Amino acid sequence: MVGPIYIIAIALGTAFFLGFFKKANRTFSFGLMLLAMAFMTFISAQWLYAFLTQNQETVQIFTAGFKPPFSISLQMGFHESIFLTIINVLGLFSAIYLFGHLRDKGVNMMMVFVVLFMGLNVVVMTRDLFNLFVFLEISTIAIIGLILLEKKEDAISSGFKYLIASGIISGLLLIGIIAVYYYSESLFINDIIASKLMYVKGGTIATFLILIALVLELKPFPANGWALDVYESAHPGVGAIVSSASATAGIFILFKLLPAFSDSAYYIIAVIGTLTFVGSNLLGIKQNKATRLLGYSSIGQIGLVMAVIGLTPYLGDKTMFIAFGLLLTHILAKAGLFWLAGIVKSKNIRDWAVIRRNPHLLVLMGTFVFALIGFPPFPSFFAKWELIMQLANSSGMVWLAFILLGSFIEGIYMFRWFGYAVKGENKDLPEFKIHWNKILPAILFAIGLYAFGYYSSTLTGIAGKFNYLPLLFIVFLYAIDFLPVYIKNTISIAGVGYYLYTIYPGLEEYRLVFGLIFLAGGMLTLLAGYAYKGKRQGFYPLTIMMFAGLLGLIEAKTTLEFFFAWELMTAGSYFLIIRGKKSMPHALSYILFSVGGAYLILAGFALAHIDQNTFSLDILSNVQYYAPVIFTLLAVGFMTKTASIGLHIWLPGAHAEAESDVSPMVSAILLKAGVFGLIILMLHMGFQSFGNVDIYYILAWIGAITAVMGNMMAAFQEDAKRLLAYSSIGFLGYTVFGLALMSHLGWLAAISLSVIHFMFKTLLFLAIGGVVWRVKTKEMYKMGGLIKKMPFTFISVLMGIIVISGVPPLTGFGGKWILYNAVLDKGWFFPAAAVFFAGIIAFLYCFRLIHTIFLGQLKDEHREVKEAPFWMLVPQYIILGVIMLFSALPNSLLKPIGEILLPYFPDGALEWQGQLAISAFGYWNGKLIMFIVVGIFVTVFAWLWYMNRNAQKVKQFNIGYSAERPSLPETTHFAYNFFAPYKKVLGFLVTPVISNFWDDVSEGIHAVADKIRRIYDGNAQNYALHIIMFVVVFYLIAFGGFYGI
Amino acid sequence: MIEKLNLENISLAVGIIVILIGLWGLLTQKNLIKIVIGFALFDTGIHIVMVSIGYIKGRTAPILDSAVDVNNASQIVVDPIPQALVLTAIVIGLGITALMLSYVLKMYQKRKSLEINNYKDLKW
Repeated sequence: MVGPIYIIAIALGTAFFLGFFKKANRTFSFGLMLLAMAFMTFISAQWLYAFLTQNQETVQIFTAGFKPPFSISLQMGFHESIFLTIINVLGLFSAIYLFGHLRDKGVNMMMVFVVLFMGLNVVVMTRDLFNLFVFLEISTIAIIGLILLEKKEDAISSGFKYLIASGIISGLLLIGIIAVYYYSESLFINDIIASKLMYVKGGTIATFLILIALVLELKPFPANGWALDVYESAHPGVGAIVSSASATAGIFILFKLLPAFSDSAYYIIAVIGTLTFVGSNLLGIKQNKATRLLGYSSIGQIGLVMAVIGLTPYLGDKTMFIAFGLLLTHILAKAGLFWLAGIVKSKNIRDWAVIRRNPHLLVLMGTFVFALIGFPPFPSFFAKWELIMQLANSSGMVWLAFILLGSFIEGIYMFRWFGYAVKGENKDLPEFKIHWNKILPAILFAIGLYAFGYYSSTLTGIAGKFNYLPLLFIVFLYAIDFLPVYIKNTISIAGVGYYLYTIYPGLEEYRLVFGLIFLAGGMLTLLAGYAYKGKRQGFYPLTIMMFAGLLGLIEAKTTLEFFFAWELMTAGSYFLIIRGKKSMPHALSYILFSVGGAYLILAGFALAHIDQNTFSLDILSNVQYYAPVIFTLLAVGFMTKTASIGLHIWLPGAHAEAESDVSPMVSAILLKAGVFGLIILMLHMGFQSFGNVDIYYILAWIGAITAVMGNMMAAFQEDAKRLLAYSSIGFLGYTVFGLALMSHLGWLAAISLSVIHFMFKTLLFLAIGGVVWRVKTKEMYKMGGLIKKMPFTFISVLMGIIVISGVPPLTGFGGKWILYNAVLDKGWFFPAAAVFFAGIIAFLYCFRLIHTIFLGQLKDEHREVKEAPFWMLVPQYIILGVIMLFSALPNSLLKPIGEILLPYFPDGALEWQGQLAISAFGYWNGKLIMFIVVGIFVTVFAWLWYMNRNAQKVKQFNIGYSAERPSLPETTHFAYNFFAPYKKVLGFLVTPVISNFWDDVSEGIHAVADKIRRIYDGNAQNYALHIIMFVVVFYLIAFGGFYGI
Repeated sequence: MIEKLNLENISLAVGIIVILIGLWGLLTQKNLIKIVIGFALFDTGIHIVMVSIGYIKGRTAPILDSAVDVNNASQIVVDPIPQALVLTAIVIGLGITALMLSYVLKMYQKRKSLEINNYKDLKW
């Protein structure tokens, strides 16, 4: 094996030799340098391989023929080899990325580059404190040299700021080193650790100085203004090195010297790390320059890794796994994003829309952004999971809360940025070129993220249980994305169908019900995709990602699998939602509510896991501590998906702006994931209360209020799809109410309403989507008289609203009948009254769908409108068939669900005699009612048909009769602001109090961030002052009480 | 009191004073060159502190020549390590100061100004 000393020898030798090639071909010199970097990478990787596979022991290398402390010694151990490999791989690809620049700048810059990585390598390996200082300085000087790659004035002044800051920091380090030497009489790190300096008077100050200097090297908040300026102005290739390679080395020094500090150093590091993570991300949210934004995020992420190291006492032997997972993700993703920034060259994040000119770059960016936030399947997901679990287990609740808060804030600006890239206007933006040497490293790093994500999952202890088959299917769909829609659609439907076929026998009980909603429903809505022409780039991988997440929820046996699937579903649905034309702000609020909800779920799972040695979902039935808190966290988390009142503001926009066939997916299907979560939660945890307050009673009220408000807001909409979106909120309110009753009938109502909601919402969204497809507007008052143009769609909508409004004979009535029985049974009459009231309001908006769209006068511009596309109608009529079946034979739906519920709620079940259902309060025969209603209908219809010959045809411009002005419908159209009288009376109820509340919250956070970030005023001296004040403050905190003995 | 006024304490105090003067200059002067001078003073102060920490009263320089017998050198010379360190630190300090000055030069070439307040374009 090649000794590690050769890393230094090769780097030094190359740097020296390059000097002789000043006149030679620069590409040749570059090749020489690249060869050196490759060899350094090879040596470190070879050691890593040996440590991983061959029980290699840690090696000490002595220089100058003496043993330490009389000479400098290097150490190559397992941890060293990992860090070195990371750093050198990064160096190798950074060199490739910077090829053009290094070649143009000439040999000197290449020498600096090699020396930089030599410095970082020695910093990791050395066991001599002073040697550490020397090589730290060498790498700092080299980095500042590399900043000159960018000739702009900004870059130069930022380099000067960096110099001043690092000058002060290294001064502190130097004083610390000499003081440590004074007390321990050695510079050999092992001796220093053995001398237990922190127990010597004066030694505490010496170690404190070193600690604070090392922490300052990691750019802690708020003493980091200089670093932000460097990130913003330096060449992105250099930014990537500073953010990844230097920070990695810095983290390792801290890790290496930790044993030399007192135990309370952990606490200081944890405080500074957490403060940095939250603070830096908070200030980042006002940022609109891409590279500076990456700077805020880099500082935040390194802060998080620092916090993890500081939290070692809480995390125990999981510390390394967590720290590596987070660090590795940060390195790969942040380097990747910096590199992309160098390719796209758009300074302002709004201009990143230009990246769409090459959709593959967008995929790369998405990979990096989602990895940073900690989505599956990336290493950070597993690291964050372990981190939160361990913190909860060892009672680190405050840390847990702050870390989740910081992650959430980081999500705000990362997703906003990504949203601009996906949806922003990109017409007038300048072109950019892609050079192979710039894109190759980013691609490899993205692949690395997936590979290490997979590797991390195998280390979690429940390895191999993750279902990677759907993920491979996603990759496959991405690979065949160049094919036309009908082929990909067929493959997708076949894939979902095949999967349903394979798992169907294993599905039981409520998992079967929801499995069918998710997967059979998915196939049904996918059918509408045949209506699309062309390629529909990116649609299928994302759709399947959402369905993969949904089926993962069904299959999950452990909390980890559940959370994995939940996040996967969130990511997929986010991408689907953001595809809509004006979806950017709605998709952002969707993902933020989802991520916030997901963190609550994560915290809930973590608390539930305390004192349990398994991750099985059954731990929820056996919770040891904080049961009501866990219940609340999880319930609120799930209710972000059911869009219960207060958490609903993302839904209307997201569903209304989505594409015609996406709306049913994200409305009829996706919302059920929240219901499914609530069912699992309630079944496992049972009754819960805070003191005397029954949580279920509160939930019932939430459900009832959601139902009233959702329906009322639906009634006042002018936009047909928004109307349907609000109606979903209302309907999910019924479901939550039904679940909260915790009785057989309540659950029977809730689950059957879920199935029914799936059916009619798919039906209506597809029908209205078809109308919108043809008439190109969503405003109802701009439509009218479409009954003759789109008769099949009319029938769908008519049936759909009969189901929603819950009148006989269709299935909606059955659901309502059971719900009312359940209420009588339970006796919660006040919330029940609200639910009844909501049911009445539903008539109002249902009426508008038929009346305003299909009746009245046909608008001039719609004279040529055709029936909705055939493939939009196919799923509608399949659903209509099923609705008729369930309506005529209600026990075909309700009886199986009742049987599923029997083991959980044995009392109060319905008694079935054929199609006759008998409850404690009455009976209902669906089949008989169907016959009666059809009989009445036929009679009335025949009579009307007979009378029809007496009717007088009213021409459109017969003003006396038709009453509207077709040219300007909103001025005279009686369907505009149709419920104005009601609005006058009840309008105050629908003032957007909740939207305003969230707007104020958001504005408040942004204002605070903007105020605080003013400390970064660009003056190098103020930055220096921040550093000194930082040292003083932490000196006072540390010696004010707990540091040292 | 007076017996504390020995060489190592005086040099230690001088070192610390020079450090503080350097920091003061670094933080308050508005001229880039003066800021660099402030840094150089700060650095020099640290070097003085380092040397004074390695000093042992009544001993000679750690150079093995006719004045120092090799066999009992460890009893008659001061601690050589801080002195070796100081040499390295001086070299590094020199490098950093030179780099600072070259940056100042570049900044001056671009904007024709040595006023630090003129270099605040990057902020927030």
